[in-house]
Amino acid sequence: MRRLSSSRSATGFPLVATFASLAAVASLFAQHIPESPAAFSREVKDVFDRCAKAVVKIEATDQHGELSGTGFFIDPTGTLYTAYSVGGEADSVMVEFKGKKYPARQLLADLRSGVAMLKVDLPSPSLPIGSSEQLEIATPVVTIGYPLDLAETPSFGMIAGFDRKCFGGYFPTKHLRVNLPPQRGEGGAPLLNLKGEVVGILLYSFESNSCYALPIEAAEKIRSDYVRFGEPRYGWIGTNVQEATSPVEGSRALTTEVMKDTPAAESGLKSGDIVLQIGRTKVHEPEDILEASFFLTAGDAVPITVMRGNEKITFQIQADLHPASQTRLAAPPPLNRAIPLNLQSAPERTP
Amino acid sequence: MDEFNDNQMIGKLLRLKRYEQPPPGYFENFLHEFHRRQRDELLKQPLWRICIDRARDLVFSFNLSTLTSYPAAVTAVLICAGIVSLRIYQTPQPATVAVKDPTVLALPANTEDEWTLASPVATRVFNTRSLRNITESAQTHRKGTPPRYVLDSVPVSYETTFKF
Repeated sequence: MRRLSSSRSATGFPLVATFASLAAVASLFAQHIPESPAAFSREVKDVFDRCAKAVVKIEATDQHGELSGTGFFIDPTGTLYTAYSVGGEADSVMVEFKGKKYPARQLLADLRSGVAMLKVDLPSPSLPIGSSEQLEIATPVVTIGYPLDLAETPSFGMIAGFDRKCFGGYFPTKHLRVNLPPQRGEGGAPLLNLKGEVVGILLYSFESNSCYALPIEAAEKIRSDYVRFGEPRYGWIGTNVQEATSPVEGSRALTTEVMKDTPAAESGLKSGDIVLQIGRTKVHEPEDILEASFFLTAGDAVPITVMRGNEKITFQIQADLHPASQTRLAAPPPLNRAIPLNLQSAPERTP
Repeated sequence: MDEFNDNQMIGKLLRLKRYEQPPPGYFENFLHEFHRRQRDELLKQPLWRICIDRARDLVFSFNLSTLTSYPAAVTAVLICAGIVSLRIYQTPQPATVAVKDPTVLALPANTEDEWTLASPVATRVFNTRSLRNITESAQTHRKGTPPRYVLDSVPVSYETTFKF
């Protein structure tokens, strides 16, 4: 009897320890949100102290005159993101970093997403890339920018929504609506979670105390294309979709046209098919097509599941280059090669 | 002889008047009566004449040398008021520095009825046309002019169709 009870206690302790370990790990991965205003203040200050060194002021000249905006380093070799309106059409771009101005060259400027990628030839601190998919309504966020002719300035706010449609049109992909007061000069500023990770890029102001940010995954898709191909390669398969009168299998995305000599036509997709899934994205409304379409890469095969009558069919379709890709590539690197690292000194990783 | 006779006549009259006396209170009321009669005389004139006389008396009661700048000051005030009123009622001109292509800004809006349009992506072309040419722009952005602090109020591109 005694042996039995000691045996139970011996097996119970590892069980409790395992649960405690799992709980500790789960708490580490859980979204970190401070519980009091003072804690919020400390968190924001901490994020600002760690991340501000990787945020830079960008000055340039375009056909309308001089402009000023914000950008941030994303790798230790001086690569940085900014808004298309800041670095997309400008010449003689200068990056102000640690009190000095350095010339920057444009790696790419993508009109569809609204971001530009610049490069400064020096080792730099960089911001870690986070995930906007972990954000929820009311998740606190911080941005650091250079408003007007002032020094780097933090702004604190929260996620207000995830919008696909605004200003009378559709965004190319879902955008983050953020309730924080943006100011002129902060276009291209990083949107940070309280861990100091980039979750978006500030692009547009919305009313007086809100703004829109591009999810960082969208910018990373473009950077991935650039590293692979030297340019953004949006994919398409050649179909038109509109809203069906009644849902089929939970989807209202009705294929109304399959264009000739396109991947869709060659794979056997037909008009009248109801699109259920594109890649990993489940489709419920025609708007879902935009989200899935943005992340298609030309040349990559993507599984597309449709409902034809009572039959569910999955096609493997290799996407073609999007005909409306209007990307200006300033300095194309060698194809299929990563951006070379050329560090003169040890990079400073932030945070 | 005549002079002698005149003196006699005057003496005779003075003797005759020697016992004539003014009524009681005559000297006490003399000043009051004088003013009353003066006002009566004034009121016999027409009203416009009275006003002119009053105005003239008022003007001449001031120092004329200090009054010479009054018309100039009044004129300056009237001119300023005229200029200010013109500026207030003038229609403001739209700002032309940050140029956006109006054709593209007007683009997408209602996609529900137009999901089969030809172009899947609407883009704003920056470098095709501006309201001012570069020479004009350079002239208006002299040294010392603050730069354009960028934060767009509209996206640089829209999706116009559900084409993929």
